[in-house]
Amino acid sequence: MKIGLEIHVQLPTKTKMFCSCPAVGAAGPNEHICPGCMGMPGTRPALNRAAVDIGIKLARLLNCSIPDVMWFNRKIYFYPDLCRHYQITQYETPVGLKGEYYLGKKRIGITRAHLEEDPGSMERSGDGSLVDYNRSGMPLVEIVTDPDISSPAEAREFLTFLLKDIRHVIDLPSDGERSIRVDCNISVGTERCEVKNVTGLKNVERALTYEAVRQTKILRSGGRIVRETRHYDEERKVTTAARKKEYEGDYAYIGEPNLGSINVRRIADRIETKESPLSMAMRLQKEFGLEEKAAKQIVNTSVKLAELFEHFARKTGKENALKWISGPISSNWRSLEKDADTKKDGLTDIVVRFMNGEINDVECSMLLKAYITGEDLRSMEKNNADLDALIRKAIAGNPSVVDDYRGNEKAGNSIIGTVMKETRGAYPSSDIVETTKKILDEMIR
Amino acid sequence: MSSGREPLIERYRMFSEFDASTLDEVLTYSLSDDITARGFQATAGSEMLKGYRPLFDAAVVSKMNGNHLIGKTNMDEFGFGMFSVTGTGIPRNPFDPERSCGGSSGGAACAAALLEGHVALGTSGGGSITSPAAFCGVLGLTPTHGRISRYGQIDGVSSMGPIGILASKSDLLRKYLPLISGKDDRDPVSAAQPELRIGNRKLKTAAVPKGITDNVSDSVRSAFEDSVELLKSMSVSVEIVDMPHLKYAMPAHYVVSVTEAATNLVQYCGMRCGRQDGDLSLPFNDYFVSFRSKYFGTETKLRSIMGTYMTMGDNRRNMYLRSLGARNLVINDHKRVLGEHDVILTPSMPFISPKIDDAVRMRSADSYMTGRFAAPPVFCGLPCLSVPCGYSDGMPIGMQFISDHWDEDILLSAADLWEKAFDMKTAEVRS
Repeated sequence: MKIGLEIHVQLPTKTKMFCSCPAVGAAGPNEHICPGCMGMPGTRPALNRAAVDIGIKLARLLNCSIPDVMWFNRKIYFYPDLCRHYQITQYETPVGLKGEYYLGKKRIGITRAHLEEDPGSMERSGDGSLVDYNRSGMPLVEIVTDPDISSPAEAREFLTFLLKDIRHVIDLPSDGERSIRVDCNISVGTERCEVKNVTGLKNVERALTYEAVRQTKILRSGGRIVRETRHYDEERKVTTAARKKEYEGDYAYIGEPNLGSINVRRIADRIETKESPLSMAMRLQKEFGLEEKAAKQIVNTSVKLAELFEHFARKTGKENALKWISGPISSNWRSLEKDADTKKDGLTDIVVRFMNGEINDVECSMLLKAYITGEDLRSMEKNNADLDALIRKAIAGNPSVVDDYRGNEKAGNSIIGTVMKETRGAYPSSDIVETTKKILDEMIR
Repeated sequence: MSSGREPLIERYRMFSEFDASTLDEVLTYSLSDDITARGFQATAGSEMLKGYRPLFDAAVVSKMNGNHLIGKTNMDEFGFGMFSVTGTGIPRNPFDPERSCGGSSGGAACAAALLEGHVALGTSGGGSITSPAAFCGVLGLTPTHGRISRYGQIDGVSSMGPIGILASKSDLLRKYLPLISGKDDRDPVSAAQPELRIGNRKLKTAAVPKGITDNVSDSVRSAFEDSVELLKSMSVSVEIVDMPHLKYAMPAHYVVSVTEAATNLVQYCGMRCGRQDGDLSLPFNDYFVSFRSKYFGTETKLRSIMGTYMTMGDNRRNMYLRSLGARNLVINDHKRVLGEHDVILTPSMPFISPKIDDAVRMRSADSYMTGRFAAPPVFCGLPCLSVPCGYSDGMPIGMQFISDHWDEDILLSAADLWEKAFDMKTAEVRS
C-alpha cells in the first residue's frame, strides 16, 4: 500500500497573500474583500513578504532545498470560488524541493512545499450556491509527500508529529481560524485515488482506511481502480467519487508575469528558523546520548523544558540533568514555565551544591522546589512532614496496597485518591503523587 | 493659445462631451479603455465588460491628478489587433476617415492627432502604441516594461504591455513621462525600476538591422531611407547590423502573448463584473460557456483557444517554454547591438494605414505580422518611440527608435531632434 499526502497549511499572516485585506476575523461572509482578492480587472497582485518568510521556514523544517530564485505560476481551472479562474501557485520553483522528514527511523520523502493562495469558499443552499470570498487570497503552503507512507495509522502518526513541528516553527495557533486540510492519495494496486480536503487527523486515518478496503475489494473481485478524485463524507464515514482526476498537463501552467522573480536565497539568508521539536529531540539524543523515549518525552512536555535540560546538561552533566529535570523540575513545570529563563542559573547552582556533597538529594529536591515555587523552605518542610504522615496513615489503613504495589504500580493510586480527598487541595497533586510513590518504594525495598 | 483656441475648442466638441471652453489652457488627457478610472466604464474594448465600473483609479490616473481626463478611447478587444477593428467601436483615421487608426490603441492616436496639447495614454502588448502613432502621424512613446505602474490596467497580455504616451509634440512626452513614471508597490514589476534620469544625452549612433526594409511597401522603404539620410546629415552615425535571432521574435511573441492572454481571459464568465445577464439556472460550466460564446469577439476566442492549446500537455514544453527561451535570444540580440549604439532604427509599420474594410477582412495571422517591427521591442521589454517620418497619398508613415532598457532619455532626445528636423503635418478635419 502506498500513501502520499498533500497538506495545505493556512499561514499565520496578518493580511492576505496578494492584497492588504485582513487574513482572518471577518464578522460575516464577504467582509474581508477588496477589488484585488475579488480579481477585479485592472488589479494586480503584490506579494506579502511575511508569507514568503514562513514558506522558507517550512521548507527548512522539511529539510528541503530552497531555490536561489523563485517565481509563481498560474494554475487554471474554472470554478466559481476561484475569482480569476487561475490560482497563483508555484510549479517549477517551489520554495522547498526534495526534502525529508523522519518519523523515528522511518524516512518520509517530501516531494515539494510550495506557496499558493486559497480560493474562496462555496456554500450550497436550497435555491443555488453562495460564494464567500473572505478566504480568497489566504496564503497557504502545500506540502506534498512522496508515497512513502505505508498505512493509514502511519499517516496519522506522521501528521501528528509534523503538525506539532509546524505549529512550533511558524507559531501557528492551534485554536484559531486557520485550517489545515489534507488531500490523501492512496493506491493498493497501481492506480491511485485522491481523497480531497479531509480535515482532522482522525478523519485522515478513517478516510484512508475506507479507501484501502474499497480498493482491495475491487482488486480481489478482478475489478480495476479508476484514477479519480473522491470526497470524504464525515457523517457516513465513506468516500464518494467526485470527478475524474485531472493530470498536471490539464492545468496549463504558465509563469505569473505580474509578480516577477524573487531572490529567495537572499531572503532565506536573513531568516532564522526555530528548531523543530522533533529535530531537537534527535539532536538531544545525539549530543547527550539520551534514549529516544526520554528525549521525546522532554521535548513533548515543552521545548522550553528541553532548553532547560540542555542548560543543565552543560553545567551538571547528562546524568544529573536527566535526574533533576525529569524529577522535581518536571513535576513543578507549570509554576516554572514562565520564569524558566531567569531561574535557570539559580536551579543549576542548587544542583552543583548537591554534586559537591553540600546537600543530599532530599534537600536538593526540596531546595529546587522552594526556589521554583517561591515557598518558604521551613513551612515547606513542615508541610512535607505533615503530608508524609497523612500518607503513611492512609497506607496503614489499607496495608494490602503495599503488596499489590509490588506487582503493579497502579495500586498506589487508591492511596493517592484517598489522600487527595482528605486534604481537599491543600497540597499540589504532584506532591501527593510523588511522596506516595517515594514512601511505597521505600516500603517494598 | 490665443488665435488657435476657437478651432481647437470646436475639435474637442466633435471629439467628446468635454467642454474645453471652460478651461484657461486647453490641456487634457485620455485613457485607452483598458485603463481604469473611477466613474468611467472600463471595457478594454470588450462587450464582455460592458457595465464594468471599477471602484479604483489606475496609478497613472492618480499621478495625472489635476489634469483633465476627458474620456476613454477605443481599442481592439483586450488589445488583440493592429487596426482597432476588433473592439466595441472603430476609430477613424484623422487623415482619412475611410482608413484605420492602427491599433490596438487606435483611439488614443486619433485623439493625440486631433487635439493640440492632448496627452493620450495607450497600452502596447505587441506594438499597439507604435502602430497607431505611425498611422495617425503622431509621436508614440512606449517606455520600458516596468517604468510606469500598470496598476489599474486590464491585462490582455501580462509580461509585456506597458502604458505609453501618444502626443503631437515632443515636449508633452518630456513633461508627462516623468510625471506618470515611478515605483508603485501595487505593481511589483514597477517597484524594481532604476530612477528615470533625463540628461538630454545627445543621439550619436544608430543601428539598422540588415534587411529590415525587405518586404515593406515602396513608400515606407523610401521614407525610411530618406529619414536615415536625414539623421546622418545631423551627424548621427548609422551602421547596418546583423540581428540573427530577430526572426524568432514574432513566432515567440505570438506564443507567449496568446498563452498569457488565454490565462487573463479565463476570468471573464458573467460573474462578479461586466455582463451578468445570463441564465442562472444553468450549471456553472454551462453558464460560463454561454457568456464566453456570446460576448467574446472572434479574435479573442481565437487567442483564447490558441493560448490554451499551447500550454496543454507536451505543448507547454515544446511551444510555451521554448518561446520563453527564444525570447532571451531576441533580447540578447538587441542588448548586444544597444551596447554599441544609442538606438536601433526600424520602420514602424510595413505600409501606410489600410482601408478599414480591408483591415476588417484581413486574416488574423496577416494582421498579426504587420506588427513585425513594432512588437519585438515590446516583447523584449525595451522602450521605443515612433515618429512620423514621411507621407504617402496624404497618409503618414512612421519610423521607430528602440533604446536600451530604462534609457527613455535618449528617446526623448531623439524626439526633440526629429521634431526640429522633420516637418510634421497636422490632420485636416473634415466634418
